[in-house]
Amino acid sequence: MPGFWRRNRHWLTPALFLAPGLILFSLVILAASVETVWISLHEWDGIGAKTWVGLANYAELADDPQFYVSLKNNVIWLLIFMLAPPIGLALALIVNQQIGGMRILKSLFFVPLVLATVTVGVVFGWVYDPTYGLLQLIFGLFGGTAPALLSDENFATFAVAAAALWPQIAFCMVLFLAGLNNLNEDLIGAGRVDGARGWRMLRHVVLPQLSQVGFIAIAVTVIGALRSFDMVAVMTTGGPYGSSTVLAYQMYEESIFSYRFGYGAAIATVLFVIMISFIAWYLHGLIKAERSNA
Amino acid sequence: MAITATTLSTTRRRFLQGTGAALAASASGGLCLPALAQGQEITIISNLSNAGQPDILHRLATEYEAKSGAKITINNMDHEAHKTAIRSYLVVGAPDICFWFSGNRMKAFVNKGLFDDISDLFARENYKNVLGATTSAVTVGDKQYGLPMGGLLWGLFYRKDVFAEHNWTPPKTWTDFLAFGEAAKSASMIPMSMGTKELWPAGGWFDHMNLRINGLDKHIALMDGKVQYTDPMLTPVFDKWRDLIKAGFFSPNHSSFGWEQAGAALAQKKAAMMDLGGFVRSAFPEADIPQLAYAPFPEVIPGVARYEDFSVNSIHVPANAKNKQGARDFLAYFYRPENLGAFLAAEGAIPPRNDCPPSKDPLVNAAVEELKKVVGTSQYYDRDTDPDMAQEGMTGLQEFMVKPERRDQILERLEKTRKRIFG
Repeated sequence: MPGFWRRNRHWLTPALFLAPGLILFSLVILAASVETVWISLHEWDGIGAKTWVGLANYAELADDPQFYVSLKNNVIWLLIFMLAPPIGLALALIVNQQIGGMRILKSLFFVPLVLATVTVGVVFGWVYDPTYGLLQLIFGLFGGTAPALLSDENFATFAVAAAALWPQIAFCMVLFLAGLNNLNEDLIGAGRVDGARGWRMLRHVVLPQLSQVGFIAIAVTVIGALRSFDMVAVMTTGGPYGSSTVLAYQMYEESIFSYRFGYGAAIATVLFVIMISFIAWYLHGLIKAERSNA
Repeated sequence: MAITATTLSTTRRRFLQGTGAALAASASGGLCLPALAQGQEITIISNLSNAGQPDILHRLATEYEAKSGAKITINNMDHEAHKTAIRSYLVVGAPDICFWFSGNRMKAFVNKGLFDDISDLFARENYKNVLGATTSAVTVGDKQYGLPMGGLLWGLFYRKDVFAEHNWTPPKTWTDFLAFGEAAKSASMIPMSMGTKELWPAGGWFDHMNLRINGLDKHIALMDGKVQYTDPMLTPVFDKWRDLIKAGFFSPNHSSFGWEQAGAALAQKKAAMMDLGGFVRSAFPEADIPQLAYAPFPEVIPGVARYEDFSVNSIHVPANAKNKQGARDFLAYFYRPENLGAFLAAEGAIPPRNDCPPSKDPLVNAAVEELKKVVGTSQYYDRDTDPDMAQEGMTGLQEFMVKPERRDQILERLEKTRKRIFG
């Protein structure tokens, strides 16, 4: 036995370390994805027998106005979420100063990351409440009436995405703070010697060193925007009349409320295709970064 | 699907006989508990949203534990969240007893084989004698799949003190109703409190308009998918509803909050009336409950007989339950007239058994009296039609309440859904 181990450990050790992750990944992610695609080719109520319908679910999807509403809302989410990396960077630069009391400020900015997203959604739901909410109190100070953001089809998606942006900014800030702590002191010192200050220091010495972190922040934000679901479920349940649904929520609604698992799976598959292209871009970037570091 | 119209109206009649002949026979009071329950575990998932009922359920469970030696675990869920959760827990991780709704919503799970046939319990405890035709609300193909719980009569609720202060009387005709709305508005009140975030209140309003304009048979035909959503019979319903919306009858921004907040507006005298069931009381502080009163939805077309939404909740044993025998034994205890009566009194619901003690609650008694004048009943939009259709339908009705000018697009979309579901 020890002989066997010695002869084979060069490949056994990594294989054993990888095994739990690989098994979990193939079971929970790969197998589930393949099954989802398979289900999307059937009509299925989630309990009884499946009926093969081929691409009929996709044909119906192409003709479903709700699908385009969800798709459009996902794009809005994506655009709003793109604010998170720059704002997070700005906050990180501010709270990274060596000033008294900054630690408290830093932890305050960190708070939304500690909260569950559902909590954030419920709290923002109260803030937006047109009768009793904080927003109405603020508008009331100026003698105005707050718009009912969550019940207006034009505002609902923006209001929900803005609420979701709050923890996302905190997340980006933490990423950038970590990056700022890893800055190469030599380079900064060299920059100082060459007379770089303020904006020039930031632009030419600090930011280039943060490009790796920035890439991760953007990629994670994109994926976060696409998989948005919990905030929509908590704040508007897709309403008013489906105007704030996103693909993930529509998938849930079709499967769970309408018992149309085949149709829900078809939406999931479309979302998967959109996401996989971003994930491929992310992985490509990661691998490239690893190669250049090596 | 055709069970609703005929069977439920008989349900109502039996309900009336029941509450009328209260206390007639408490024959089942002396049943012995089976000794089998020793060391058993029974899990219950409930969906009780008012304060009193979980306490009574806990009390009954504790009493039963002491008598039988079984161990009972109760998980009470948020009422709305439970509607979603039940779909998964019936398949994976079913409790031994769960709460749900009778009629078509029960039937959807029965057809999927998720509720246990408890006809044996019905036979053992002789429930058909005390329930009479109410049995039909939990019957599919001659078999019983649940026990009917409290009945909820839907209508307009208001505060007596507010009406007395303004010298108002509940509107009886459509003209009265329109005039009442104007009076409420000039008193700076919302005429009809409504919160449509959870969609169903819009479905209920549609029910009541349609029942008053087209009557029960046509309404049920629509619920069963036999009438198109673009049918001209619905034109006056949406015309009149649009008039109310345009006149500002309903709470502004109603899609941003649910019925609890709308009920609170009624309790706080910010709104004059509200279309709901007796459970509106849970939005009222204890001291204000005596002020709460019921009025039927006004007549819209003179001469149309009075039909109402009357929904019957129910309690079930899931097909995947682990302890089906224990569940039956506990249900038999829970369903004793004195226990069931106490449990339903806390909700303000009308008891289904004819041997429950008479209610001390004037609202329940008023509902019983009102039921006697009702010619026939449906349950509720999302209880009467297919769940898939209900989801699309209530979303469309909510959209109509916000954007009445989109009526044609909405109805065409609903018709497309109806065609897909019912063919």
